[in-house]
Amino acid sequence: MQYFDTGKYQVLFVLVMVAFILINIFRAQNKDIFIRRIAGLNAIEDAVGRATEMGKPVLMVPGLGALNAISVQALNIFAHITRTAARFASPIRLCCGEAAVFAVAQEVIRDVYQSEGVPERMDGDSVRFVSDRQFAFAAGVSGIMLREQTAATFFMGEFFAESLIFAETANSIGAIQVASSTENTQTPFFIAACDYVLIGEEFYAASAYLTRKPVLVGSLVGQDWGKMLIASLVVLGIAMESSQRKGWIEQMENDPAAKTSMMRLFSPEPPDPATKPVRQKHPEEGEAQ
Amino acid sequence: MIPWSFESGSTQLKIAIFVTLALGFGLFFALMKTPPRLRPKIAATFTFLAGLLYVGIWLWPTAHGREAGDIPANFTEGVAFWLEDTQSQFQNLSNILTSFLLLMGVFSLVRLHATRVSKKQRDWPFSLVLLICVAIMTFIGYWDWLTVMNMKPEELEAMRDVTNQPFAVWMKDLLFDGLLQTMEAAMFSIIAFYILSAAYRAFRVRSVEATILLASAIIVMLGLLGMAENYWSIMIDNMGGLEDPNALVNNLRLEAITQFIRDNLQTPGLRAIDFGVGVGALAMALRLWLSLERGGSTS
Repeated sequence: MQYFDTGKYQVLFVLVMVAFILINIFRAQNKDIFIRRIAGLNAIEDAVGRATEMGKPVLMVPGLGALNAISVQALNIFAHITRTAARFASPIRLCCGEAAVFAVAQEVIRDVYQSEGVPERMDGDSVRFVSDRQFAFAAGVSGIMLREQTAATFFMGEFFAESLIFAETANSIGAIQVASSTENTQTPFFIAACDYVLIGEEFYAASAYLTRKPVLVGSLVGQDWGKMLIASLVVLGIAMESSQRKGWIEQMENDPAAKTSMMRLFSPEPPDPATKPVRQKHPEEGEAQ
Repeated sequence: MIPWSFESGSTQLKIAIFVTLALGFGLFFALMKTPPRLRPKIAATFTFLAGLLYVGIWLWPTAHGREAGDIPANFTEGVAFWLEDTQSQFQNLSNILTSFLLLMGVFSLVRLHATRVSKKQRDWPFSLVLLICVAIMTFIGYWDWLTVMNMKPEELEAMRDVTNQPFAVWMKDLLFDGLLQTMEAAMFSIIAFYILSAAYRAFRVRSVEATILLASAIIVMLGLLGMAENYWSIMIDNMGGLEDPNALVNNLRLEAITQFIRDNLQTPGLRAIDFGVGVGALAMALRLWLSLERGGSTS
């Protein structure tokens, strides 16, 4: 009889993760928490500064994904970049491939210029809806990059096959590229083609790193606790799987025919006497003489 | 529980539509009159309730084997039925909102390019081409839709023969399948060349890491190349691999090394990134749901 519904493990696991995050958000209100350096985020100021010196725009692309946690996070990072650009009076271009993201992006960028006290610096056409078709969007954004010769480009969010088109086009015009994709199939392309890449959770750590708000920093530490829990479970899983395999290997040891070459490598067995080759003897010295 | 759907043409449906419209307009004007200080709180409340619904859908037991017209057997099933119906209505609501937002996007696009054409700004002919294309695609799209909607089933069947297609359908196929899809395929194919140029830059031997990357990339690439893999296998066979399937030398087959790199180095790396992304998304979603990140980076 099964006393506990093991299907509820996932609920328990998520609740533990949620508890980690909330506890650390509470902790961070009264405590300074260290966050390691993230090179890609340190490069933002340099990239925007370079664009200002060159008098060229900064381009931001939040990917093709719908309005979800990923695109909201990308817009949070873009808000920070826009704030830096607003201070330097550097023009920006934010290209969207999803109408809902476009609507939110417009509001976010307008808010940033207003909060910086320079609403007159905002260009009404800086946030653009290009197309919701993947390659039409890729062609449109590449066209903007080439025509306007953007000096700094930021690709953050959900990217798919178009990622390399953006990255290589930006490289061809000599723009600084900072990229991040939550799609791990695209991350290698960005690593190969871009100057700085935020890998995996660094994308979500960006807001905490840039703003140092206690809520965000605490949430980041909560994520780390969650990852430690996952790592512990991985180690536990390895131990359990190894223990299960040990029994299987012991069974196999009784059946020499089933042994693999790797098993023989680590536990060589003495040669079978039956396979000993027939060898001729050396002639006796006395007989030879 | 309040039902989400009524019989078509029934009085209940008409009352429901009227009440919904009245509520919608009432809510709209109430929001317009709300002091700006209170608006974030209202948004936070709605966000929390919407999130709570999805948490409920995930946590509440699902009704097993539900069929159309079923009446819930108890309270638990009643809630499960309501949650299931509400989810599809929420999806509809989301689709309707997205449609309105798409209109905003198209309006922004048209305004930008119309301004460029009217002021004869740089590259204005491209903007003119875009405006003409938007107009033609919209017109043909609706014409095609109206044509197909008004066709009888036998006419739709006859359309399988391309020569029987009405002009609107033929034109839509030409523009959409013949032109747009083909141009998208052309864009996609460009990626092959970009991969080459990106790989050239990434695989240059500049550091220890780049060298390791180069070495493993060469092994994996050769392992996926039929000819290289075949000649390498012949070499391993000649070294005794063919005679004894358990010979150690068989571990040096190119496909075995490639598979080792992919299974033991690449996949764990990607899984680790996936864990980080998953936990990050959970934290982000929690902050959004509970409105802990109020103001975001703009505040």
